[in-house]
Amino acid sequence: MRLPGTLLAAVLALGCPAAQAFETPVPTFVEETAASGVQHSFTGEWEFMVGGGVATFDCDGDRMPDMLLAGGTSPARFYRNASAPGSALTFEAQASGLELDMVSGAYPLDVDSDGATDIVLLRVGENVVMRGLGGCRFERANEKFGFDGGDAWSTALAATWEKGAQFPTIAIGNYIDRAQDAFPWGSCTDNWLHRPMGEERKFAPPLPLKPSFCALSMLFTDWNRSGMPSLRVSNDREYYKGGQEQLWRIDPGKPPVPYGPKDGWKPLKIWGMGIASTDLDGDGYPEYFLTSMADNKLQTLAAKPADSAPKATFSDVAFAKGVTVHRPYTGDEVKPSTAWHAQFEDVNNDGLADLFVAKGNVSDMPDFAKKDPNNLLLQKPDGTFEEAGEAAGVASVETGRGAALADFNLDGQVDLVVVNRNGRTQLWRNLDAGSGNWVGLELRQPAPNVDAVGAWVEVRCGGHTTRREITVGGGHAGGQLGWIHFGLGAEAKADVRVLWPDGSQGEWQPVEAGGFYELVRGQAPRRWAPGR
Amino acid sequence: MNKFATAMLAGVAMSMSLAAVAEAKDKVIGVSWSNFQEERWKTDEAAMKAAIEAAGDKYISADAQSSAGKQLTDVETLISQGANALIILSQDASAIGPAVEKALSEGIPVVGYDRLIENKDVFYLTFDNKEVGRMQAREVFKAKPEGNYAFIKGSSADPNADFLFSGQMEVLKEAIDSGKIKNVGEAYTDGWLPANAQKNMEQILTTNDNKVDAVVASNDGTAGGVVAALSAQGLAGSVPVSGQDGDHAALNRVALGTQTVSVWKDARDLGKNAAEIASMLADGKKMEEIPNVVKFTTPGGNETNSVFLTPVPITKDNLNVVIDAGWVSKEVVCQGVAAGSVAACN
Repeated sequence: MRLPGTLLAAVLALGCPAAQAFETPVPTFVEETAASGVQHSFTGEWEFMVGGGVATFDCDGDRMPDMLLAGGTSPARFYRNASAPGSALTFEAQASGLELDMVSGAYPLDVDSDGATDIVLLRVGENVVMRGLGGCRFERANEKFGFDGGDAWSTALAATWEKGAQFPTIAIGNYIDRAQDAFPWGSCTDNWLHRPMGEERKFAPPLPLKPSFCALSMLFTDWNRSGMPSLRVSNDREYYKGGQEQLWRIDPGKPPVPYGPKDGWKPLKIWGMGIASTDLDGDGYPEYFLTSMADNKLQTLAAKPADSAPKATFSDVAFAKGVTVHRPYTGDEVKPSTAWHAQFEDVNNDGLADLFVAKGNVSDMPDFAKKDPNNLLLQKPDGTFEEAGEAAGVASVETGRGAALADFNLDGQVDLVVVNRNGRTQLWRNLDAGSGNWVGLELRQPAPNVDAVGAWVEVRCGGHTTRREITVGGGHAGGQLGWIHFGLGAEAKADVRVLWPDGSQGEWQPVEAGGFYELVRGQAPRRWAPGR
Repeated sequence: MNKFATAMLAGVAMSMSLAAVAEAKDKVIGVSWSNFQEERWKTDEAAMKAAIEAAGDKYISADAQSSAGKQLTDVETLISQGANALIILSQDASAIGPAVEKALSEGIPVVGYDRLIENKDVFYLTFDNKEVGRMQAREVFKAKPEGNYAFIKGSSADPNADFLFSGQMEVLKEAIDSGKIKNVGEAYTDGWLPANAQKNMEQILTTNDNKVDAVVASNDGTAGGVVAALSAQGLAGSVPVSGQDGDHAALNRVALGTQTVSVWKDARDLGKNAAEIASMLADGKKMEEIPNVVKFTTPGGNETNSVFLTPVPITKDNLNVVIDAGWVSKEVVCQGVAAGSVAACN
């Protein structure tokens, strides 16, 4: 029997549903949770429906990312990275001093610029700055640093060094007034801005950022390349009254001022949970991915006048780029998704930034998907994205919250950890990031701000330049400090340059693919090889 | 020259709209669904489509698949496909604005379907939520004309929660003022979650030493939480409880006697009315001329033209209505019901 052509095509299409063609190399992530030694859950009820962050950083000098996992009602847990380079992900729980309870999130930040990374613990209750002592030991430093930990439901952090400052400025996002559990709506508490106390190496009393709208993510970012980062705040519309997304102008020595209609700022109301940023279109300005419920947003500057500074007007290109990721792409659920941590990293080393999004229902929300798989969105050469979460192996339907993409075993392939609410934290090793090349870079400059937060790193190869802003903040309740990963595609060499936070421009300098390089200010790139 | 051109264009536009009025058939009604794969909208669509086709018009539709971003482009697509009127079930009322403005600027009338769209030029069709609240209170009041009342409200983030509560209060005000009814506790339910409703109900029971005689719950999900809390204290079945939505589990509770009423909104009514209103607006009828139209001031302060349909309270005595309508099967409603106790289950 001869089938009509169209019918035959239909039969063929139905016959091979697995043969989804991808336009980009799909990496292979293998879950190594069971063998990794990481056994941890972020636990708790109402006060921990949000949070669940993970911080990655190196604290024992081997330059492999160690990690701290928020625990909610359970103690936070520190894991030293014991992986052999290029091998299975192996972690060892170790007493570090960071094991406080009621921790919702954590960000690494070298507050005192002594070269030993400190950790800021966001808590339901008092926030605590834990000073790194070396050897992965930490001690409370609120008193030493003059840091007022408050007594709020803290859920977001962003840090920067304001121009000329010896000490960082830390913004803390605070959520609902937790005493108002019977009527939380409209009870958003003030976010706090901790600025340095004059020239002293300590913080002044915190400044309330009024109005505040239940922030769940914050990021200091130089959105207009003015050299002075502004503070983006993503807010949860479920609980604020009359609120919206926010952008604060933070000029040194002046009070913070919110951008408004006269600056071109357009109100946007979302269930803001996380911020990821990178320069996707190569125009030198960062794009911002904002996680929410149902649609996620991808914001780009609406207009970039050649002869003047851009206005603070952003347009949403999420649908056009294929990253609204508003409902599950596997399984049979048709209700919308709930997104939390998001992060741009090149997971297949093709030279294009990809996007990971952690997903999970708030807590039996009946109008939202219950089995909500994480997304792994691979960027295609045309700038749109394709979903590869299931094909890559990271489509977990546990209740995701915080996450981190980091090269845990220093094999040049970005791995993944996801914290689940009331479920086990999961680890995936990236076993095959494709045939593309890569470099790992780390910035260093003299104190203050030894990690060069606020710098831009540029990598030029194959006729185009990719760039990343070095930030502390964003994501959902957790951040990363350490090697900065760039995929290079087929290129065997690249030139790199650093635009340092004070505005000075480093030289273009050559590096070779497949290597880790320290970029010390004023010096040639220094190649470093993992080994033990 | 310019003046002449303008006059010409105006003349063309006028004759076109006259033609549209004269020719009532062959209109295109575009429907933008927020998430058509959700089972409940299939009933609405069937009724809508039947009414549109019966009038000789054409039904076209798009499914936003829960994406507010996709819905914006869906509406543009419906416009470019020649829709003469739009029916929009919005995914996100705060995001649909630009698409609605585009339609209106091209003279295409828009009916906001079931969910409010904040724009004074959009017609709003929904069930009368205040009446739902009144019906809930009326049925509970019939069963328990005096005593201690508890109120389990919806999410404070949802404006409907307050419409429902104001309807409930309207009915009970007199009895409350005279002291026959005492409000012994009211609570909003975060996210409309049954678990939160249960927690709130447990707290109200504890505060009142279990002396609660009736519970006005705002929907079936919260009613489920309330009944669970009452069961734990051995009170389920003796304390009247209201709800709404005609959830299958709730209709079973009505048959079992642990829930007094579930106010049901017949989706077929909503679909049919939307089709008829869209058709009339496409014919050039003014919004103020639609039968049963009322002025409604939205929470955002827009004065809209609206039609509010009347829902049906489903109690033990008329469970046959939902069964006969094909909304739910008799097996589901009557599961575990003692023989002879409920007429619809015989």
